[in-house]
Parts: sequence; C-alpha cells; structure tokens
Amino acid sequence: MSDKIGIYVCECGPNISSKVDIERILEEIAALEDFRDKELIVKQHKLLCSVAGKAFLEEEIKANELTHLICAACSPRDHDSTFKEVCKKAGLNPYMYKIVNIREQCAWVISDKEKATDKAIQYIHAGMDRVVYQQPLIEKQLDSNPDVLVIGGGIAGLQSALTLAGKNRRVFLVEKSAELGGTSIHFQKLLPRQGSDTATRNRKIKEVNKNPYIKVFTSTELSKIVGFLGNFEIVLKNSENDSETELLAGAVVLANGFQQANPQDFEGYNYTDNDEVYSALEIEKMYSETNQITMKSGELPKTVALVHCVGRKEVGYCSKICCNYLIKISDYLQSISSDIEIIDLFQDMCLPEKEDQEYYEELAARVIHSQRVTGTKVAGNKLTYTGINGRETTIEPDMIILAPAIIPAADNVHFANLLNIELHETGFFQEAHIKINPVSTNTDGVFVVGANRGACSISDAVIQAQAAAGKVLTQLIPGQKIIPEVMVSEILEAYCTGCQTCLEVCAYGAIYYDAERGISVVNEAICRGCGNCVGSCPSGSIRTRHFTNPQLYQEVKEALRK
Amino acid sequence: MNPTETVLVIGSGIAGMEASLMLSKAGKKVFLVERLPLIGGNVIKTGESFPNMECSTCLVAPIQQEILQDSNIEVLTVSDIISISGKAGDFAISVRKRARYVNIGACLGCGMCYPVCPVTQPNNWEQNLVEKKAIFVECAGSLPNVPVIDPALCLRLNGGEECNLCMEACMFGAIDFSEKEEILEINAGAVIVAAGFETIDAKEIENLGYGKYPGVFTAYELERLLASNGPTEGKLRMRDGETKPGRVAIIHCAGRDKVGYCSNVCCSYSARHAHFMKEKLPEVEIFDIYSDLCLPDKHYQKLNTEIRNGTSSYIYQSDIAKMKIEELEDKLLIQYLNEQEAEVSLEVDMLILTVAIKPAAGLEELADLLEIEIDKYGFIKTAAGEIGSVCTSRSGIFVAGCAEGPKDIPCSVLQSEAAVAQVMRLLES
Ligand SMILES: Cc1cc2nc3c(=O)[nH]c(=O)nc-3n(C[C@H](O)[C@H](O)[C@H](O)COP(=O)(O)OP(=O)(O)OC[C@H]3O[C@@H](n4cnc5c(N)ncnc54)[C@H](O)[C@@H]3O)c2cc1C
Ligand SMILES: Cc1cc2nc3c(=O)[nH]c(=O)nc-3n(C[C@H](O)[C@H](O)[C@H](O)COP(=O)(O)OP(=O)(O)OC[C@H]3O[C@@H](n4cnc5c(N)ncnc54)[C@H](O)[C@@H]3O)c2cc1C
Ligand code: SF4
Ligand code: SF4
Ligand code: SF4
Ligand code: SF4
Ligand code: SF4
Repeated sequence: MSDKIGIYVCECGPNISSKVDIERILEEIAALEDFRDKELIVKQHKLLCSVAGKAFLEEEIKANELTHLICAACSPRDHDSTFKEVCKKAGLNPYMYKIVNIREQCAWVISDKEKATDKAIQYIHAGMDRVVYQQPLIEKQLDSNPDVLVIGGGIAGLQSALTLAGKNRRVFLVEKSAELGGTSIHFQKLLPRQGSDTATRNRKIKEVNKNPYIKVFTSTELSKIVGFLGNFEIVLKNSENDSETELLAGAVVLANGFQQANPQDFEGYNYTDNDEVYSALEIEKMYSETNQITMKSGELPKTVALVHCVGRKEVGYCSKICCNYLIKISDYLQSISSDIEIIDLFQDMCLPEKEDQEYYEELAARVIHSQRVTGTKVAGNKLTYTGINGRETTIEPDMIILAPAIIPAADNVHFANLLNIELHETGFFQEAHIKINPVSTNTDGVFVVGANRGACSISDAVIQAQAAAGKVLTQLIPGQKIIPEVMVSEILEAYCTGCQTCLEVCAYGAIYYDAERGISVVNEAICRGCGNCVGSCPSGSIRTRHFTNPQLYQEVKEALRK
Repeated sequence: MNPTETVLVIGSGIAGMEASLMLSKAGKKVFLVERLPLIGGNVIKTGESFPNMECSTCLVAPIQQEILQDSNIEVLTVSDIISISGKAGDFAISVRKRARYVNIGACLGCGMCYPVCPVTQPNNWEQNLVEKKAIFVECAGSLPNVPVIDPALCLRLNGGEECNLCMEACMFGAIDFSEKEEILEINAGAVIVAAGFETIDAKEIENLGYGKYPGVFTAYELERLLASNGPTEGKLRMRDGETKPGRVAIIHCAGRDKVGYCSNVCCSYSARHAHFMKEKLPEVEIFDIYSDLCLPDKHYQKLNTEIRNGTSSYIYQSDIAKMKIEELEDKLLIQYLNEQEAEVSLEVDMLILTVAIKPAAGLEELADLLEIEIDKYGFIKTAAGEIGSVCTSRSGIFVAGCAEGPKDIPCSVLQSEAAVAQVMRLLES
C-alpha cells in the first residue's frame, strides 16, 4: 500500500482562515485514518498560490511521493490551472489532483464559522472520495498538416489565400465558377473609402495567380471531406471534366459568398423583364461592361428612383452594404450625366463606417433627392411609396433600381452538412461565439469568412479573411504537434448496441458508426468532452474521461450526505 | 529577448486581450501595456452586451484571468509607451511603468485598505457617479484585483502628512510607499495598437442639456447604473440614488453631426438599454428618439424589432440640431421636429444621450510617438491604397479595435485576429 493522498488547506490570508476553523479541518480529516487504505498527509499553508506556496506544494508532492493531491482553496476559476502546473512540475499527473473550493462555497457565504467549517470538511471529504477514483490521463501529440483549403474565390477567399500562403504553407483555392473574383468582379468602382477604383481587387487576383504557394482550382467544388484540425482528407471534383483530386490539409476556410434575393419573391414587387426595373447588381454589371447606364431603348434615363431595403422586413435583418452601394450608384449616374434626377427612397440610412456619412452628405447636398419612406411597392414601371406621414405617392420614373436583401448562398445548407457546422436562423453560418470568436465554427479547424456569415462589405470580408488566417497561423504552426483534449468520451464496445442515438446529439460530429463491428466509436481528436452523448446513450455505454460515473457519484454522494 | 519572438500590444481592451492570447498560444512573448490600473477596456463598463444580452463580466473575466495567468504574457498596468526606435522585426521600445505603490505579487485583493483612507476623489471610471479613495480599485471585480494609490492625492505620497492608515490595514505587507517608477526596455518584432476609444464630452452637445439638468445622463452613466457591480448595484435611479424614473427617453445620434460619422454601436446598445431598464423597472415608460437606425449585423435588427414590440416606443425626429431640452419642475421637456417637421414635445424624468464615439484621449500623441499617421477624425489610419487593412503607415505596427474607428465587439475582435495574422507573417519572414 503505497498510495498517499496529500490534502493541503489554504488560509488564503484571512479570507479562509478567519471564516473557517482550519485547525478543526486538519484534525477531522487526519482522523479519517486509513481512508480507503490510503495514507493521508494533511497540512495547511498561508497562501498556496503564492510563489512560496507553489514551491511548498511541489516539495511536498516530491518528498512524500504523493499519488493524489487535494488543494482546499479557492474557486477553480482562480487557481485550478496554477495547481495543475505545480503537479506537472513535481511529476504528478495533473488528473490525479482536485481543487476543493472552500472559499467562495464556504468561507465567503456562511457567516457561522462552525457551519462553514462543517461544510468545508464535507467538501474536502467529497473531493477525497472523488480523487481516489481519478485516473492519470496522458496527453497525445498528433502531427498536423499546415496547408489550408480555401473554398470560394471571391474577395474573402482571395484574401484568405494571400494571407495564409507562404514557404511553409500551401493553399488550395477552390472556385466553382471559371473565374476568380466573386461578385465584386462586376463592380466598376468601389467606395471612396476603398480608394474608389478596383485596382486593389484586380491586384489581389493577380497576386493569387502568380503566388507559387497557392494552387487555384477553378470550375471545381469540394466533393468529400473527413478529418479534424490538422488532418483533413479532401476530394475535389472538377465540374468540366469530372476529374477528381485528392489532397490533405490542416484547416478549411469557407468563403462561399452570398446571393441576392429576387425582389419578385417579395410582396408588392410585380414587374417583368420588360419593365425598367433593375437590381443594383444588374446596374453594376451594365456599367462595368458598357460604361453606361441606359434604359432598354439604349437611351439615358432622365429620372431614376433608388429603392432601399427591398425585402429587409421579410428577411429580418439589414443587408448593411446597400445604402452604401446605392450612394455609389448615384455617383455613377451623376458622372454619366448631371441631368439625371435621382430620387432616393430610403427607410433608414445605415452608414456604419467612418467615411460613409460624408460621402452621402456630399452627394445628397448636390444630386440625390433623398426621401425617407416606410414602404415601397413596384407595379410594372410604377413605384408607390408611403411617406413617413403615412401618405402614398405613385411615381413613374424612367428607371427603378432596387437594393434587394442579401441572402445566404443556396449551398450553405450543403456545406453545413459536409463540414458539420451550424447555420444561424437566417441561413448564414453561425459563429463559434457571436462576439469573441466570430470566424470560428463549432468544428475546430473550419472557419467561415465573408458574406457567408452575413451581409458585409469588401472591407469586412478582407478583415474576416485575415482574422481566419490569424487563427490558422497561430493554431497550425508548421512542424508543431497538436495536443487534442484528453478529457474525451469513449464508447465501451461490450455495451454499445449500435443504436446510434449518440451520433445525433454530438454537436461536433465526433462519433461515427463502425458498421463492421456494429458499434459507435468516438473520434478522440474531434471530441470536446462535452458529455452530451453520455446522457443520451440508452445502454449507458459511454463515459467521459475524468467525469466518469463512479467519480461523480462518489463526490456527489459525500457532498450531499445528511 | 528575441525580437522575432516578441510582440508589444498597446491597450488591454477586448482587441488587445484577444491579440495577446492568440500570440501567446503561438509561442510568442507578449508585453501588454495598459495605462490604467485594470485590464479589460471599455467592455467591462457595460453590465451586459448586445446582441445576446450576455453578462459582460462573464464574457470577459475568463479572458482577463487567462491573460493574468499566462506566463507568456507580461501585463504592464499603469504603464505608458515613452519611445520607440528601430524597424519592423526589431523595435526597441521604452515603457514607463508608473508606481502602483501596492505590490501585485503580495496583494490578495482583500479590500481592507481603501475603506480606511481619509482622502476621497470622484471615481471617473464610474462616470463620477460615486467617489473613490486615494487608494482604490475602480470597481468590484477589477482585474488585476489590486488597488493603486494616486500619489497626487495620497496624504503621505504628496509629501504632506504621516498618514499610514492603508499600510496598517493591510495584513499582507502589500503596500509599498517606496515603489518607484521603472523604465522598461522592450525589444519586439511587431507592435499592435489597440488603444480603443472614448465618448465625446456630452456638454459639447449644447442643446441636449447635459451638465445643465441632472436628469440628463450619458449612455455610460446608464451602463454603470444598470451594472450589478456599479454604484447602485444595478438599480435604475435618478442622481439622488433613490428616485425611480417613470419615463425615460433615449436620444440617438447625440453628437453624430459634430464628429461627422455614425458611431456604429449606439442603435444596438440602446435596444439593450431599453431591455434592461424595463426588466429592472417594469413600470418604466421608454421612448427612443431617433432619425436613422444603423443595425449592421444579422443579429441586430431582430433585437431592435423585439424592443419596438412593447418595450420602447420609437419616435422619429427630423433634425437633432433643432431639438431643445428644458426643465419643468422636476421633469424634462424635450422639444423636437417630427416627420412633418412640426414641433412636438415629450415630457420625461430621465434622458439618456447616446454620446458619439471619438478617439481615446492621447491617441494622437501615441501616434506621433510611434510615427504612425492618424486620419482626419483622429483615429489610427490604415495603409493607403489598401482595403480592410490592419497595417498602419509604419511597417511592423498594426492597429486593431476602436483605435481604428467605432465598432462593436465582434468587429474589434475580427480586426485584432487580422492584426495577429499580419504579425505572424512578419515574424515568420
Ligand atoms: C450591387 C452591389 C454592389 C456592391 N458594392 C460594394 C462596394 O462598392 N464596396 C464594398 O465593399 N462592397 C460592395 N458590395 C458587397 C460585396 O459584393 C461583398 O462584400 C463581397 O462580394 C463579399 O465577398 P465574398 O468573397 O464573401 O463573396 P462573393 O463575392 O460572393 O464570392 C464568393 C465566391 O465563392 C464562389 N463559390 C460559391 N459557392 C462555391 C462552392 N460551392 N465551391 C466553390 N466556390 C464557390 C463563388 O463563385 C464566388 O466566386 C456590393 C454588393 C452588391 C450586391
Ligand atoms: C455605451 C457603449 C455601449 C456598448 N455596448 C456594446 C455592446 O453591448 N456590444 C458590443 O458588441 N459592443 C458594445 N460597445 C462597443 C464596445 O465597447 C467596443 O467595441 C469595444 O470596447 C472595443 O474594444 P477595444 O479593445 O478596441 O477598445 P477599448 O475597450 O476602448 O480598450 C482600449 C484600452 O486601451 C487602453 N489605452 C488607451 N490609450 C492607451 C495608451 N496610450 N497606452 C496604453 N493603454 C491605452 C485603455 O485604457 C483601454 O483599456 C459599446 C460602446 C459604448 C460606447
Ligand atoms: S443597408 Fe440600408 S438599404 Fe440595405 S437593408 Fe440596411 S438600411 Fe436597408
Ligand atoms: S462528449 Fe460531446 S463532443 Fe465528445 S463525442 Fe460525446 S457528444 Fe460528441
Ligand atoms: S497613506 Fe495615502 S492612500 Fe494610504 S490611507 Fe493614507 S492617504 Fe490613503
Ligand atoms: S489590504 Fe493589502 S492585500 Fe488587501 S487589497 Fe489592500 S493592498 Fe491588497
Ligand atoms: S449607431 Fe445609431 S445612434 Fe449611433 S450614430 Fe449611428 S445611427 Fe446614430
């Protein structure tokens, strides 16, 4: 019998020592002599987390050859990682230690010192009951591939590739159409804050094409992908000749862009191709191809109405970029002819970037007749709007230009399934955390950038692309191994009936079904140890390491005694 | 210190913290320089944050803790950059670490020292809604949870008296009046400027009555009133600390015409404000007086729609410059032009101004010192001829977060992750 449990009670200065009776704790715990046949070493220290405290603990672990360690101290949030580090330094497997919170859960919340002490003793006892069931866990190291698959050759995909590619990292850029550039290829100009002209966009396409570390696959789509961060196996398929290419990559950046809603799908927009009604994108295309914006007759329009927010109510979000590009289109029109009357029917002006407002105000002062409306309808060439006073007015301008909502690309659903990532209720991709992890997804190693996350400008797309690159460059360092989570689940073959219930609850796609053996199997490199599957398994054959039933049961049983 | 393995981050808001953690995980040594005694930036002033109404402390505290525990990150609080030389890949930076007079290693954050201090001063971090002592932490939950002594006010340090009260109260011997400022020389390969923003002085918006009428509050004052660690512990009260407001109006775009740009976040945080005011005082009546709505994210309009459906009445005004505020006994009378440009008025108890965002104080001086350009609004300028760039006019120095312009938390984080990408590329080459 050589097992020794070390139990160290921290005074935390007066924080714990003035509110619980540490002497009594030491006495009562030491009196549990031969606790499960283990030897107990029970001591106190003034400040375990201090430099001196950590040195003391390290020395204690080594000198006493402890096999288990309990630190009765503060919240694990404060110092769990501190004591884990001490274990590692002293050569004790960190999964053989447990922190017991006698500060926030006892000292600070119970005013009666005796009761606080009783509770602290009980919690320490519960911790001891758990720690004896703990098992050492050993971290594994996996090789990882630093190369990256980028899907989509729009501005977001181009920028991702450019920021990622280098002599230690290749990028495979897959574009389904025959050309790179995405939607922005159709723009004659960008916004003034973007330097107006499209030189930067053109330069990016050129740089991608000549970069020796980027391999571009046009007319190609992703057909298969399996694996996890650092190790994805990928099959691409060329749509022209059906040829397949197999590759390996460590991460995937998805930049499949957006589509524009068809205004005719929204109530109140009834017109045909013969009417003088255009979407903004059609105007961009016309202008960049012909250098003119003309009616079907080939003549210049004399009056043009710009209609904001088409379908905004139906889709439930603002498309962010349309106020801006409609101002840009007014700019096009006034540069074509100063005689064109521009009627701008907006609902709200959404100009979220520094220079947008000035651009608008300058043009509004000279050429745009802006009018705030609450609703618009189109019937053929007639446009009816409801003013903010509630009155309806119908006009018949020579040309009507609509800003239809930006909606998710049709293949988002397909990608969500293929890459096991989540969709937001709008149909755009869902970020791992809305605020503090915006380009990551629930699958490690898969990132979403550009307009597939929600309507955005080119500037936003470029920033998001660099952000995903930042994630990859700091997570997949060439030559460095990756260390997967060790507190993962395992399925016990003997009990698993192969019902596959667990496959459905795992949000990370970590479980697969092994048809040959007729059981479900956890891929430990993907599993995050969330424990969802454990509760779902009808035959109780799944356990999460470090959170096994005996471990939890023993701890809870003692904590709830009496 | 190998410069290609070291990065200097200026400002410990959400942008600076995210960059520091990412770089540390990639094995870089990070110096995180923050001029205040606490890290976390402006996000920790807001009790909750949109769009998901998550508690900001719960969002940020784990990040702050991780930063403080990370041995690759050296956090330098109460510190300023004083000079920089060298070039991308090899900068030499001097940092002045002012004396805190409390030993961070020894202090436990028990809070015994400040109640005994005889000197009081307004707590500017709490928007001057309460006072603090000469030895203080800004608010409950400040991290690092270690007080600081203001040497200009401390009776002992400013040379006057033999006061020793805080030292006597401290059981850990953490107070150290002999602490001196230090000048640290840091050799780093790249610099990220994440110095954030502040809001304009609401008194400058003369027609909206701030500073004249006690019933007029700024958005940050409201944030502190709504925050559970704020001066009222989260109770919505007028300045006397007792009276509950019956009717509250939020005026959007306060100061937007002065700064010349939209501040990007106020339409969304106002929806959050309305939500929490109503939650705390269900009988309160709320009005949002606006002229534009800027809700540029897939999550934001939904939030706005929910608030308009019952929590707040949205009222359109057509010219903020023509708005007038008057005090009538203990009520405020707001006069504004409606859709038809007719003058209408509304009587409320409390008025909240969504004060425009501007560059942080000292940003221009910092930019001068770093020899990087600022734009016409005073924010850090990004590389000319580029779109969505995080590079400044000087190679090796990058910008992230609101130091570049007003933005929400996700966009601040995105920019900081982008800056990290550029730093990694620079240091790899
Ligand atoms: C009329 C109009 C004017 C605009 N003007 C401006 C402006 O002046 N300034 C500005 O900043 N923004 C402007 N925008 C917004 C701009 O278009 C977007 O910000 C930008 O296009 C987003 O880039 P992206 O790469 O995310 O998507 P996209 O440009 O849509 O590119 C996505 C790419 O992915 C490819 N793809 C899709 N599915 C697959 C697949 N399954 N496999 C492989 N490849 C796939 C597509 O073929 C495409 O090449 C405008 C938008 C519109 C509609
Ligand atoms: C009233 C209000 C409510 C908001 N609510 C929300 C919300 O609910 N959700 C949301 O997403 N966004 C919200 N925002 C926006 C959010 O606060 C910002 O996006 C975020 O704080 C930006 O982080 P940052 O790191 O860029 O800057 P900051 O938070 O400003 O941090 C900058 C840091 O740099 C330090 N610093 C400054 N200058 C120097 C210097 N010279 N040397 C050293 N250090 C320096 C500062 O002390 C500070 O700690 C709100 C903004 C306001 C005004
Ligand atoms: S950007 Fe402007 S036009 Fe587009 S949905 Fe938003 S408010 Fe409407
Ligand atoms: S523990 Fe969670 S992540 Fe792991 S296999 Fe089970 S459900 Fe999936
Ligand atoms: S020494 Fe200074 S800080 Fe301390 S109690 Fe006295 S006045 Fe306050
Ligand atoms: S009394 Fe001492 S230990 Fe406690 S907060 Fe003050 S300085 Fe820190
Ligand atoms: S975000 Fe809203 S309130 Fe703020 S300046 Fe822009 S439009 Fe005005």
